[in-house]
Order: sequence, then C-alpha cells, then structure tokens
Amino acid sequence: MFQTHGIPTVKNEEWKYTSLEPLEKNIFELVKDNKLADRSALFEYCNPQEINIVFVNGIFSADLSNLKNIPSGIIHCPLQEAVAKDLPKIKEFLTKYDPSQKTPFAALNEALNSDGLYIRADQNTACKELIHIVHVTSASRRNSASMPRTLMVLEKSSEATVLESHLSFDDKAVYFANALTDIFLDENATLHYCKSQKESQNAFHIGQTRVWQERNSNFDGFSFMAGGALTRNDLDVVINGEGASANLNALYNMSTTQHVDNHTSVDHRVPNGTSNQLYKGILNQAARGVFNGKIFVRPVAQKTNSYQLNKNLLLGKDCRVDTKPQLEIFADDVKCTHGATIGQLDEDQMFYLQTRCIPSKIARRMLAQGFVDDLFSKIKNESIHHKLDKLVQPSFQALE
Amino acid sequence: MNEAENKKTAKILNEKTIEQNFLSSRDYKYGFVTDIETDRIPEGLNENVIRLISEKKKEPSWMCEWRLKAYRHWLTMAEPHWPNFEYGPIDYQAISYYNAPKKAPKHKSLNDVDPELLKTFDKLGIPLTEQKRLSGVAVDAVFDSVSVGTTHQSELEKVGIIFCSMSEAIRSHPELVKKYLGSVVPYSDNFFAALNAAVFSDGSFCYIPRGVRSPLELSTYFRINAADSGQFERTLIVAEDNSFVSYLEGCTAPTRDENQLHAAVVELIAMDHAEIKYSTVQNWYSGDKEGKGGIYNFVTKRGKCAGAHSKISWTQVEAGAAITWKYPSCILQGDHSIGEFYSVALTNHRMQADTGTKMIHIGKNTRSTIVSKGISTDESNNNYRGLVKIMPTADRARNYSQCDSMLVGNKCRANTFPYIEVKNNSAVLEHEASTSKINADQIFYLLSRGLDMEGAVSLIINGFCKEVFKELPMEFAVEAVKLLEMKLEGSVG
Repeated sequence: MFQTHGIPTVKNEEWKYTSLEPLEKNIFELVKDNKLADRSALFEYCNPQEINIVFVNGIFSADLSNLKNIPSGIIHCPLQEAVAKDLPKIKEFLTKYDPSQKTPFAALNEALNSDGLYIRADQNTACKELIHIVHVTSASRRNSASMPRTLMVLEKSSEATVLESHLSFDDKAVYFANALTDIFLDENATLHYCKSQKESQNAFHIGQTRVWQERNSNFDGFSFMAGGALTRNDLDVVINGEGASANLNALYNMSTTQHVDNHTSVDHRVPNGTSNQLYKGILNQAARGVFNGKIFVRPVAQKTNSYQLNKNLLLGKDCRVDTKPQLEIFADDVKCTHGATIGQLDEDQMFYLQTRCIPSKIARRMLAQGFVDDLFSKIKNESIHHKLDKLVQPSFQALE
Repeated sequence: MNEAENKKTAKILNEKTIEQNFLSSRDYKYGFVTDIETDRIPEGLNENVIRLISEKKKEPSWMCEWRLKAYRHWLTMAEPHWPNFEYGPIDYQAISYYNAPKKAPKHKSLNDVDPELLKTFDKLGIPLTEQKRLSGVAVDAVFDSVSVGTTHQSELEKVGIIFCSMSEAIRSHPELVKKYLGSVVPYSDNFFAALNAAVFSDGSFCYIPRGVRSPLELSTYFRINAADSGQFERTLIVAEDNSFVSYLEGCTAPTRDENQLHAAVVELIAMDHAEIKYSTVQNWYSGDKEGKGGIYNFVTKRGKCAGAHSKISWTQVEAGAAITWKYPSCILQGDHSIGEFYSVALTNHRMQADTGTKMIHIGKNTRSTIVSKGISTDESNNNYRGLVKIMPTADRARNYSQCDSMLVGNKCRANTFPYIEVKNNSAVLEHEASTSKINADQIFYLLSRGLDMEGAVSLIINGFCKEVFKELPMEFAVEAVKLLEMKLEGSVG
C-alpha cells in the first residue's frame, strides 16, 4: 500500500499545506536497540511512581517501565501477541476500517511495526490511575525511524485515562516517528486521552489516532504539539453509536521554523451525536501552522450537534497560518458551526496591564498564558495538566 | 350528502389539482422560447470558427490574434473536475458559438430593433422602448450572442461615461479595450476563461472617467434563446480615480431538456478612490425536478482594486442554473482598498452550486467582508468555497467572513470549504459558519399568528437573507425577494 501510493505531495488536497520534501531528503532506518542514555531526564518528565509503559526507539523497555500498579481489570500485552492469541474483538477491530481509505503512513506503520501495544479495559472497570505510554527516541543513532503502534479497547461501561507521550531529550537528533493509535470505545465507555508530542527540534513526527465510538460512549481527547521540525497529527473520530460524544481539544505551540499540521475528522454516522472541537495555536518566529477540520454528517445522522473552533495567536514576525475548516452535511435536522480566528495579542489588554505597572514582557506572557489556560482547564487529570504545563512554560519564558 | 354534491366536490378537487399542476409547471416563468430568425454558425469549434466570429463582428486583427492565442492555450488545458458536484461530459464541438438575431445587425436607435425582440424583453420585464424604460437604469440587452440595444446612452455620454456593448467598444475605443482586456482575468487563467477569451461574442463595456459618479444604474440583461448554443460574454468595467458606478446583471433562459453552457468572464478595475458595486440576480433555467436540462453556469468574475482607497463590492443572488460554479473575487492591491462579497445562493430540485469568493490581500490596511447565505431545498447540493489569502506585504489586513447555510428538506446537502492562508502576522481574521435547519420555534410562532406554512418559511428565509438583500439596489431587492418566494413555492411542507 505504501509502495503504490508513496509519500503524498502538496498536490494531494489532504497535504496541500504540508510539503514532505524535507522528509524525503533523509534516509531512515529502523533500529533494534532500546537503550536510553539519560534516564534522569525521562524520570523527571514522567513520575516513576505512576504506571509507565516505556518504549525506546519503538521497542518496549521493561527496565524503564513501571507496571506494578496496573489494576486488575486492565489487560496489556504486546499487540503482536494479542493478534497471535486471537484475543476477542482484535480481528473485528483490525478490519473495521475501509482499507482504501487508509493513509500511506498508517499502511507504513502497519507494515513495519514490530512491537505494538495492546490495552484492554474489561467491562465495568473504572481505572482511576493515569496510564502513561511513553515513546522516547534516544539520540545514540542518527536517522532512526520508529513506528509506535497502540490499540486500546474499552469494553462496555469502562473508564480509563491515558497519556501518550512522544519525546526526545536531544534537540539535535534527526529521526522519523510514525505513530498510529487505534481506540475502540464500546457502549458507555469513557476515555480521557491525551497525546503529547515534544519531539526533537529536528525530528519528523507523523501521527494518526483513530477513534471508533459506540452508543453513549465519551471520548475526551486532547492533543499537545510542541516539538518536531515537521509534525502532522491526524485525529479521526467515527461516531457509530447514538448518543456518543467526542471532545477534541488541542494546543500547538511552535517557534523557530517548526511546521505543524493538525487534521481532524469527525464522521457522524448515526443520529444524536455530539462533537466539540477547540484547536488553539500559538506561533512564534517563523513557525507555520496548518489546521484542517472536517465534519461529516451522514444522511441518517439527524439531531447531530457539532462545533468546531480554531484560534490562532500570531506572535512571530514571519509566521504563517493556513486553516481550512470544512463542513459536509447531508442531513437537515442538525446544528453545526465552525469558526476560525487569527490575530495578535489584544493591544487594549496589553495597555491595561502596562498601566498597572506590569512590564510588557510579563504582560505578554500573562496574556499568552491566559490564551492557553482555558484549554488546559479542560484537562481533568491533574498529573497530565502538570506535565503539559511544564512543557509549555519554557516557550512562555522565551517570549520577548 | 347526495350524489350531485359529491360530484361537485370532486369537480372542485379536480380543479384544484389542475391548478396545482398548472402552478408547478409555471415554476419557471421565463421558460418560453422566442421564435426568431437567427444568423448562426454551425456547431463545432476550430480556428476557422474563431476567425469567422471575429470577422462577423468586424474586429481589428489584434483582437482576432488574441482570440486565437487563447484558443491555442485552451487546447493545452484539461477540463477541471475538482468542485463538489457531478455533471456529464460537455461536448465542446456540439455547441454553436455564434447566434445572432438576423434582423438586428446594427441599430441607430432602439426603434429599429425587431419588435419580436422588444416583446421578448418586455415579457422578461425589461422594457427597452423609450416610453417604458426603467427610469434611472441604463440597460444593455444581450440576446444570445449579441447586444441588441443599449438604453440611455446619450445621457451617459454627457458626463463622459462610455457604456456600450463589447463589440462596439472594440471598434470605437480600441485603445481602452486593448489596455484593460485580460488584465484581471488573463486568457490563461483557467479552462473556461480561456474558452471564453477565444469565442466570446459580446458583453458590456463600461468606462467611468475620473471624478464621475454615474447618475444612473448601469445594467446588462442576458438572455439565452437559441438551442444547442452557449453564451460566452465578457464584461469589462473600468472606474478611474474618484469615480463611482453601480452595475446590475440579470439572466434568464428558456426551458429545455439539454444542458447549455454559459461561460462568462467579468473584469472590474478600480483606480484610486474609485468604487464599483456589482450586483447579479441570476435566474437561468435550472432544469426540472429530475434534474433534466438547465444551464451550466461556469463563470470567472474578478475585480482588481488597483488604486489606493478603492472599493469593489460583489452582491449576488444565485437562484437559477443547473450548476453554478463561480467565485467573484477581489484582488486588493491598492493600500486601504476594500473588498466585499454578499451572496445568497438558493438551490432547489437537483441544482448544484459551488460558489464563494476569493479575497487576495496584497496592499497595506486592506479590508474585506464576506457574507454568504446558502439555502438548499429538495435534493440540491449547495457548497460554499472561499479563500482569504493575506500576502506578506499586506500589513494590518482585516477580514470578516460569515457563511450560513439553511437546510429545508432532508435530502439536500450543504457544505462549506473555507480556505484561510495567512502569511503576515499583523492580520486579524474572523471566520464563522453555521449550518442548521429552519428553526421550528420560529415556524410555530408564525403559524400561531395565522400565517400559512409557505408564508412563514418565506418570511424566515427573507430575514435570513436580509443582510445581503439590503446591499442590492432597491428595485432589484424587491425582485430578488419575489424570486426566492417563487423558487421556494412547493418545496416547503
């Protein structure tokens, strides 16, 4: 599949604003070693007391992980093992999507992934603890490629909180991370999911998260994008059960010449679905942000409520934004809105703060913080909140 | 109840159905055909046809060369298929590219115009004869491929305004045409623009000299009459420094089973402090309930705010054509220039529309406003596609866009595809869009006040479109409201 389609070009509508030429210029190879030189940096980011499932260069590291506190209702194992054992629903799930709709990068991931993760929450389990999946790339090898793959299944009426982090502690490292996450929410299941990306400043990150929702399930998603030279993050939600609701929130905070491309797609296939999207971006220096949000409402999906808002704060002199919210509606009894704003810090607010003897540098910081805070307040889990806040602070400190 | 009474009720019922049938067949009241002798070039397109058109119009050689250049370029292009609608293949060799009423070669005054033609325009509500003319509006009437007459020309000449058909302008003002034709929409712009440049037959030309405010509303009325023909007209409006003009455009065509192609090009140029207001009420034949027949309306419209503080405002009411595909755009080149776009697009039966605007901000402190209202009913497909582009030179650019869609009926579709590209960090942009059904509470309220269903829906839709209608000149606003009411008839309930 990947071979026939190859790397998409800007002629492809889905990749209109993101050129993959820099990615093509590099040659990457899969690495087999999962040694991490700097353990302390990792443990500073993720609390070693919490449940941590750590992958280094795409390979599971038992040494760095902490699996002790995993509650009884949660089952985890390598994905390949789950497929081999033919655990219930695996096959059903892996064949859910129309293969012709698959992106070339998802195909590449499926072809090359050797060490996937499978997590399942049993019926009626409510896991209060945060499950932290960490994908870290070590700087030891140049031009490495990793293909993180995760499959999460939440059975009826279960609940879980998952943080998926992609990071590196060496900003010079050049590598390619191609992540694919599948989430399946059965009836009444609730998942608080956060994807946090702080790859190296020279890395390429292409990620896709696909969510499948059954009746009355809740997906509470948050994406945080701060690293990578080129990032593409797709979040595709299929609402396949009545009364299901999805929240898609995101913050992207980019500077220098970073490029971030966020795509969302919410496919309302049944009536009475709800979806909310709030994507906010802060762009510094010559960073470039792209947002493409799609809402599909199928002919049967009456009484759908769907909202989408994209807000961009342009702080840099040479930054650039391309946004394309898109509504495709085939039903009549629906309420769908979308909006996009692009602007700077409010001069009146800056003036007010300065009249209160706050230096402009701090005033800027406060306003940027305020821009972010109403998003962060949507994150329910304190530990995630804390971690993201720590990642975003240095960029505020750097504001001029 | 006795038998006689029964019969009576049956008869009344029968009468009612007849009336309904009659009404529904009357949906499109401009669907008649005028039987008139025409001078017609046979179907087909090649360099000889283009030379023939040029010859028939007695054009200078540079014009013919320009057409041929466009035609050769057109041959290298492929028909684009990216918009969100479907249509069968168009056979460009099956179209007759020139159709002119025979009896009307050139008129000194309108009194010489074929009475059959005048009757046609009378029937369309556009009286051309001296006595009945719309006061305050100068009309250029285009029938198939040629302009049949322009009213009020002498009054306009007094203030120095040139308002005439394109062919006349090529003959009498070649220097102006040469300078501006193709300067906003070059023949290489897109497939249909190239085709138009090669075969365009007529259109209106309008030149407003420095410092003149046009005392009249200028307008062009387009009518397609002949079968198997296409209409390819070109409009060019140039407004010099400190001038103002308001221009209207109206269109109709007869009811036919085949699809007819209408590929027009409109170019506007506004110099320093000039303002052009361009309004369209488009009511081409849209095909019947099964989507048979109708006009393919593939139009390229673009305005250039070349001077500082210039302003171009597009207002359109799109209520006809089987397929509408057009994006009236503004290139905001001059500093402090303003672009506006107000649109109502109504689709019914199986109509398809892919329309919107492009605002290209190049100059400093440029501003643009977009208000688009889409109403789709029956099994129609209504798309908004717009682009707002802020170039790196456009400091402090400002844009506000709003596009709302209303859905009436459960088989229609409404999509929005806004593109926003910002390359300057001092830009402020707002965009909002919504799609919803007609509000049930509002309908209930109106019904409870004694309005019938159709009256209620029409009132609500009127309110929904008010923002756009108020931009139209008075007479047209009234017309537009009536047009929407007529179109909505029968699609509600």
